[in-house]
Amino acid sequence: MTVSLKDLDDAQFAERYGADRFTATVLSSRMRYIVQHMCTGLLNNAFSLILRDWYDFAATISGPPEQNYPMSSVSNSLAMFLGTMSEAVRNTIEEYGPENLRPGDVVICNDPYRAGNHVNDICFIRPVFADGRIISFVTLRAHQLDMGGVVPAGFSGTKRNVYENGLVIAPTLLYRDDKPVKSAFNLIFDNARYCALLLPDIKTIYANLLLGEQLIQESVARYGVEAYLGAIRYSTDVSAEAMSTALAELPDGVYEAEEGIDCDGIDDSVEYRIKVRITKVGPRMELDFSGTSPQARTSINAGILDTKTAVGVALKFLIDPATPFTSGAYRDIDIVLPAGTFISATPPDGAVFLYWESTGPVLLAVFRALEKALGRKAVGGDYGSLNIHNANGVLEDGTPWVTTAQCGGEHGPWGATEAGDADSYSVVYQANNLDPATEAIESELPAVVLRKEYVPDSSGAGTNRGGAAVLKDTLYLTAAEHWSSPLHTKSPSGLGVYGGKSGALGATWLFHAEDRDVVRTRELLGTSDEVYARATPVAGMLDPETKCVDPDGEYFYFASTPVWHTKPHAVFRYLTNGGGGWGNPLDRDPERVKRDVRDEYVTVEGAYRDYGVVITGDPRTDPEGLRVDEEATRRRRAELAAQ
Amino acid sequence: MPREDVSEEDLRALGVELARDFPGSTAADFRRYPVLSEGGWFTVVKHQKTLESVAREPGPLLGPIALASDGLDVN
Repeated sequence: MTVSLKDLDDAQFAERYGADRFTATVLSSRMRYIVQHMCTGLLNNAFSLILRDWYDFAATISGPPEQNYPMSSVSNSLAMFLGTMSEAVRNTIEEYGPENLRPGDVVICNDPYRAGNHVNDICFIRPVFADGRIISFVTLRAHQLDMGGVVPAGFSGTKRNVYENGLVIAPTLLYRDDKPVKSAFNLIFDNARYCALLLPDIKTIYANLLLGEQLIQESVARYGVEAYLGAIRYSTDVSAEAMSTALAELPDGVYEAEEGIDCDGIDDSVEYRIKVRITKVGPRMELDFSGTSPQARTSINAGILDTKTAVGVALKFLIDPATPFTSGAYRDIDIVLPAGTFISATPPDGAVFLYWESTGPVLLAVFRALEKALGRKAVGGDYGSLNIHNANGVLEDGTPWVTTAQCGGEHGPWGATEAGDADSYSVVYQANNLDPATEAIESELPAVVLRKEYVPDSSGAGTNRGGAAVLKDTLYLTAAEHWSSPLHTKSPSGLGVYGGKSGALGATWLFHAEDRDVVRTRELLGTSDEVYARATPVAGMLDPETKCVDPDGEYFYFASTPVWHTKPHAVFRYLTNGGGGWGNPLDRDPERVKRDVRDEYVTVEGAYRDYGVVITGDPRTDPEGLRVDEEATRRRRAELAAQ
Repeated sequence: MPREDVSEEDLRALGVELARDFPGSTAADFRRYPVLSEGGWFTVVKHQKTLESVAREPGPLLGPIALASDGLDVN
């Protein structure tokens, strides 16, 4: 029986961690401060939109090779990176050879199969030395705006192999003796676009690695190497114990679920399914993904390390949300996953780019599988797909422009929990990013964000309501080429839990200027059903005549036109999925339903249909005059309960 | 993912005494297979009923993934 950390006496603690309890705690906190400080430095000085406006980066501290590279602290940033970075550091440094490192080095790697994520997400790893030996690695993983390949900026589900996908960098020295290795820089700059942006950002990344190193060395000078190394072990032990305790509280059993995505970028003939079988005994858990669909034919695949991340994020959300995340969270969790599935793709044909589209369903599959075991603690599903929009063109003066993850359906709702209603405007559970400001988008791009609003009756109904779907219109002022990637439109991602209902389906449409020129008419696109008849469907389950969302309609395939070429004044409309509800909608306080009608999360009709609440009045003309008809509500709820 | 059978001899070599350590279990209750966990990839020998590992051998570094460059000797 392992002794709990809290039960160690002072002597036992000091023997195990080389420091007293207070010092180990201070150093653990200090490491979390350091990675956050590194991130702040990058955020404040980045030029690229994907770093500056999206926060598409993360920082970590890992222990030395003899400790097997434990990741003791992670930044409060992009969660998709956090599960991969512990492995990325180990795999990169082991391949490069820790014996070949010296002070002043920075090693990079961006290979999805070695390091997770996609090729744009370069890992910048700096060894930290004390008394001539490596005591740590500080790492910044940061998305570079472009990494070559056939799609500018890269975000596309249509690339067929690693050769189309972008430049792969095996573990490579970028700095030696704190001087740039020119050949390594040129390897990137001779293959990537927008390098005038990449260069200053890489310099900023390097400067923040120096900051992390400096802060660690200051801590070591004050507390000693042994206390510092002990604190790394302590940090991971704390999170291992917290997760183990949380696992022990779940009922033992075998839990199974399926989830998936619509298709790949070749055609819509193959639907990709994740199968997970979770076995939980005492404080241990095993997740077996055998039976998951083979790897996809295009770049919607994820790598094994991305799947590991999704599992970790899912379990942190569900059972251990309060303690800091470290590599120790996985200590009592084993993942069984054969190579060659679409969540464990292999090179060269299993191209990995839109990996979160495939690992988001991994997370949702864990949510589904454990729903019954969690009971009241179950969490509803989110909007499921980042619906990334990637476009580029040229301004009148010949200046190229690019947008990525700014003008699609990248932000949307979460699912409800026992604690209350869900937020309607966040990023998918695995992300944790900023929302690019409309002002920043419009100041840099020939694009106008015309509409960004919540959609009534799109939330999963429940005692606690899921988040509302987000509808977003973007007007493009110049000719452009676009890649659009909504990959979860066939079935709801916002699963309802504990008796709650699932959220509505989303979709994407293109309005060509010749069909509807909002600049010439000076009128926004409306939101009523008739507006869609003249739209070009991009993705979604739609009525083939009206082009409105219809769960029983026809599937319109996201890559039916792999690259959308548009003339000036085209408008893309993105509608996200709705978030899942929690608990029986008939148990929701009618006054809360009335407030939702006032705030236009729910219509008067939706209140009657989904909640059995009869509201009188008009939310548009007299929002404070709405009333609940209590007697009619009682009758309606009895009627619904009897169904 | 295939899970290999484990013999009583294998278990003995790992220091497992069934009667003492897993009363009521037989070698048929154990399997050998790769897993991804804290610290990377391991080949485990695991008691399937309790998920207790009696062996966890590290590696390979990338688990079942073969790189495009694997097998090309540059020396």
